[in-house]
Amino acid sequence: MSNFIIKKVAVLGAGVMGAQIAAHCINAKVPVVLFDLPAKEGPKNGIVLRAIENLKKLNPAPLGDKDQAALIEVANYEDNLELLKGCDLIVEAIAERMDWKHDLYKKVAEYIAPGAIFASNTSGLSITALSEGFKAELKERFCGVHFFNPPRYMPLVELVPTPATRPEILDQLETFLTTTLGKGVIRAKDTPNFVANRVGIFGMLAILHEAKKFGLSCDVVDDLTGAKLGRAKSGTFRTADVVGLDTLGHVIKTMQDNLASDPFFSLYQTPEVLNKLMTTGALGQKTGAGFYKKVGKDILRLDFATGNYVAGGGKADDLINRILKEKDPAKRFAALHASSNPQGQFLWAIFRDVFHYIAVHLATIADSARDVDFAMRWGFGWNQGPFESWQAAGWRQIADWVKEDIDAGKALCNAPLPAWVFDGRAGVHTPQGAYSPVHNAYVPRSTLPVYQRQVFRAPVVGESAAEGKTAGTTVFEDDSVRIWHQNDDVLILSLKTKMHVISPGVIGGLALAIQEAEKNYQGLVLWNTDAADGGVFSAGADLQSMLPLFMSGGVKAIEPEVAKLQRAHQAMEYAPVPIVAAVAGMALGGGCELLMHAAKRVASIESYIGLVEVGVGLIPAGGGLKEAALRAAKDAKGNDLLQFLKNYFMNAATAAVSKSALEARKMGYLASSDVIVFNPYELLHVAKSEVRAMYQAGYRPPLPAKIPVAGRYATATIMAQLVNMRDGGFISAHDYKISAMIAEIVSGGDVEQGSLVDEQWLLDLERKAFMELLNHPKTQERIMGMMQTGKPVRN
Amino acid sequence: MNQQVQDAYIVAATRTPIGKAPRGMFKNMRPDDLLVRALQSATSKVPDLDPKLIEDVIVGCAFPEAEQGLNVARMAVLLAGLPQSVGGVTVNRYCASGITAVAMAADRIRVGQAEVMIAAGVESMSMVPMMGHHPSMNMDIFKDENLGMAYGMGLTAEKVAQQWKISREVQDQFALKSHQKAIAAQQAGEFRDETTAVDIVERLPNLATGKIEIKTRSVNQDEGARADSSLASLAKLKPVFAAKGTVTAGNSSQTSDGAGALILVSEKTLKQFNLTPLARFMSFAVRGVPPEIMGIGPKEAIPVACRAAGITLDQIDWFELNEAFAAQSLAVIRDLGLDPNKVNPMGGAIALGHPLGATGAIRSATVIHAMRRRNLKYGMVTMCVGTGMGAAGIFERM
Repeated sequence: MSNFIIKKVAVLGAGVMGAQIAAHCINAKVPVVLFDLPAKEGPKNGIVLRAIENLKKLNPAPLGDKDQAALIEVANYEDNLELLKGCDLIVEAIAERMDWKHDLYKKVAEYIAPGAIFASNTSGLSITALSEGFKAELKERFCGVHFFNPPRYMPLVELVPTPATRPEILDQLETFLTTTLGKGVIRAKDTPNFVANRVGIFGMLAILHEAKKFGLSCDVVDDLTGAKLGRAKSGTFRTADVVGLDTLGHVIKTMQDNLASDPFFSLYQTPEVLNKLMTTGALGQKTGAGFYKKVGKDILRLDFATGNYVAGGGKADDLINRILKEKDPAKRFAALHASSNPQGQFLWAIFRDVFHYIAVHLATIADSARDVDFAMRWGFGWNQGPFESWQAAGWRQIADWVKEDIDAGKALCNAPLPAWVFDGRAGVHTPQGAYSPVHNAYVPRSTLPVYQRQVFRAPVVGESAAEGKTAGTTVFEDDSVRIWHQNDDVLILSLKTKMHVISPGVIGGLALAIQEAEKNYQGLVLWNTDAADGGVFSAGADLQSMLPLFMSGGVKAIEPEVAKLQRAHQAMEYAPVPIVAAVAGMALGGGCELLMHAAKRVASIESYIGLVEVGVGLIPAGGGLKEAALRAAKDAKGNDLLQFLKNYFMNAATAAVSKSALEARKMGYLASSDVIVFNPYELLHVAKSEVRAMYQAGYRPPLPAKIPVAGRYATATIMAQLVNMRDGGFISAHDYKISAMIAEIVSGGDVEQGSLVDEQWLLDLERKAFMELLNHPKTQERIMGMMQTGKPVRN
Repeated sequence: MNQQVQDAYIVAATRTPIGKAPRGMFKNMRPDDLLVRALQSATSKVPDLDPKLIEDVIVGCAFPEAEQGLNVARMAVLLAGLPQSVGGVTVNRYCASGITAVAMAADRIRVGQAEVMIAAGVESMSMVPMMGHHPSMNMDIFKDENLGMAYGMGLTAEKVAQQWKISREVQDQFALKSHQKAIAAQQAGEFRDETTAVDIVERLPNLATGKIEIKTRSVNQDEGARADSSLASLAKLKPVFAAKGTVTAGNSSQTSDGAGALILVSEKTLKQFNLTPLARFMSFAVRGVPPEIMGIGPKEAIPVACRAAGITLDQIDWFELNEAFAAQSLAVIRDLGLDPNKVNPMGGAIALGHPLGATGAIRSATVIHAMRRRNLKYGMVTMCVGTGMGAAGIFERM
């Protein structure tokens, strides 16, 4: 084998994107040096230092662990260019000015190590034009690498080669971006704004145009074009406000300047309303006003006709809501197309415009339809790509309707749909691959070795690839779980409950899976089939399923269920074969306890883990607090136990949830030996690899041992602080009661400090407290409130 | 009752500058080193006095552990190069540790069992946090009648503010005044007589050279006072001890590092060595109050100290009333009817800082030198004390 390892990255330009890209490198344990101009005043690296300081404040957080901000090496172009020689990848991310970029390239070129990759994060400038003036040898190592903001969270990276770029450079970069940084990579052609922004900004302009035509206000448009279409909740105009109207204007300008021969060119004129906003300095969220303006508690909307801000809150018509809820896409599109309601006509129009646009431009902007769909999914947060929507709704029917509109002059231009649209096809995605008009062929998925790490690739409508839900061989399946394998030696348990809540069925399934794994497999992986597609690991105990039991038998009927959960978790911890939890997304309450009892965890960087039971007036009783006591004792190694207990206590008492896997590690929910995975599509592969490695290494479960506890004085010491919180009015009397109970459990109960207890002792404390709280009217109020409104009750 | 056989006179009173904790100028200066500096400076003020005559060194410290642990008084005696025959004892009455040390030292002389004593105080809140490194509570504090023992100092200030109806605005105004008075006093050089400059030596790794960099500087001014403080900036701060409270970081005393030392002698010693007395120690009193309103403590202690000194409250010309919180200071001033112009004329702990156990010794030095400069007769050092006490000591200028 031959390795290509990026040992160090340099990022040129500490602006919003550059600094965040550097931060994400740090998340992924890639050493990075961040450059900018030398500051005119103060410390020479002041610009970079300020950018790094700002990283700690940005929301959503670019860094998985804010304390790691200092790991970004700081540099300026005057003193530190020598540092570039030690970097294998140099990403330029300065302002979008061709002349500035060229000036910088001249300055840095001689310091770029032979063999290093040089790439620009430009969002729209021509990569080929950027490479002009390079020596031929450097041209071969240069390409575009376009991240989306915020780069930690948006999966998309567009790789843009020039004719001179060596193919293996792109493969190396794609490998690094995919597995190390966890990005979703597409290959774009070197055309203005590449793929995602080209289609996405066109889509926004089309929405502006059609909204005006159909007389819809921005709040109604946002309600129509947000979550209801499977896109960003903030819809269109609110998203524009968040992005910044100046940025939007800039991207539109790139299209004006470079796409004169585009048949849709007339649409690329900056819309009048946007021009007006920009000239008055209303640039969106950052200036306090844009399409919306926040006045006190009210959010006012811009009235397109008068330019004034007026009361907002307009919503889609019920009729349209009903159409959008239709599950069958063919029926949904037919209803929109046939609708006489302006909102319905608007929705059909914006889909038609985008279908029209992508059909006309596919050949010039992307290699295949798949890249366009991924670009919109990964770069703009659409649940479904535009070609997928078209194909799902019935290719030919939609095509005919689009053609009718073009012929009738209703479309945005009269460019006809390309002939391939009507060649009798049922779509652009097939099991053979995605259609490429340039090659007039179906292009299969990339076969780069890095994709072997993805057991299931990101699915595409019409591709009919194997899915986690049904793949492999089922050992057992019911409504709660599926126990299965891929015809190999690792058993997989996948939860099927909604939000993967832990119901009695799941507890039974877990016990069964452990039994089966013990008999016939090297180990067990807990993996949910939607782990890579925004699914949660588990939202915790299934309160709803406990309700009938509670109604008929009261609190007493619940106790055996809690005991059962505790036993299931203990069985996991002491299973003779390794159990690895593959974690992504939320793992709350019981979900957190579930993963804590695995032999090892493989967690996506985007893992949001916490013991949140106090939110419903309960305490963790599935071994979460037992683990806190046990882990604190291990951490303390005989030193002052309370110091090590505090962190665990605070996390449980405040229902703290990690904002990343790195934070979960600091909180103690993940162990330092656990693996953090950056690409969620690799979770299953890595988890299975871990099971095999542990099995091969002769896995034995931990030996049950006595645990020294901090005892009653530790409880008292924590309680003293709680008294201050309560009497200072920060927490309620019931919060105090619950927190004091947590304090007592993690301290091992009302016993002398240093007493030795076993796990069952701690589990009994958990269960007893849980039952007492469940019987408490205030806790019952919290539970009912949560079940009815989904929001925590403060009482 | 009165067993006094002789008077106790202060012949030296000095203190280090006060650093901000935990990130101020003394963050790397050990408290025992600060104390050594104060002791050495105090003895250097009376070069004619034979140090062998020092009977004992009594040091106040509120969290006597870790860097200020063991018996920091005796450690410092030896490190300061005082004769091995000199004793050392550490005493703790939290914020009144320093003034208690002065009172105890004076009493040894006043009952005729010692001729020369040193009283001191030291605290590094940078190195030893409030509550110490290993707090541990007794379960019995949660009994209703004891619950105040669990209250943090900030919450007790909130309780005083509530009970005495002291508004946020008034507290902030008091805090601002404290800064303004402190800045003015600093600019006028009014702290010069009482302050001992301290050389700070820090040994820091220089990773680029692989060498240890030794940074040395001398400091002689308190770090806490802010010339840029304003009502607007104070108003922005959020209450930290109660959700709907009025006590903020801005109208509370600062956490600090510092040390102070005084030398007390008998009249016989004064004459023997021809020493100039700075002041005479007149009286000390301590009284307990409910721990949940500990800030009101001085109200109870002050009248008792006055009675013991045989003077009336209005005869006191200068109060060093430790500003643990603006709220409790205002409650005490109001209830006792103190003349605000006589209270902390050079600012208080809100501006200057409050190194807990050292404060009593430090403020004794302040009041003694201030009375001499301004030709005043009686001065007092008083403060509230955690878990519910007030303490007060009275000096007469010589």
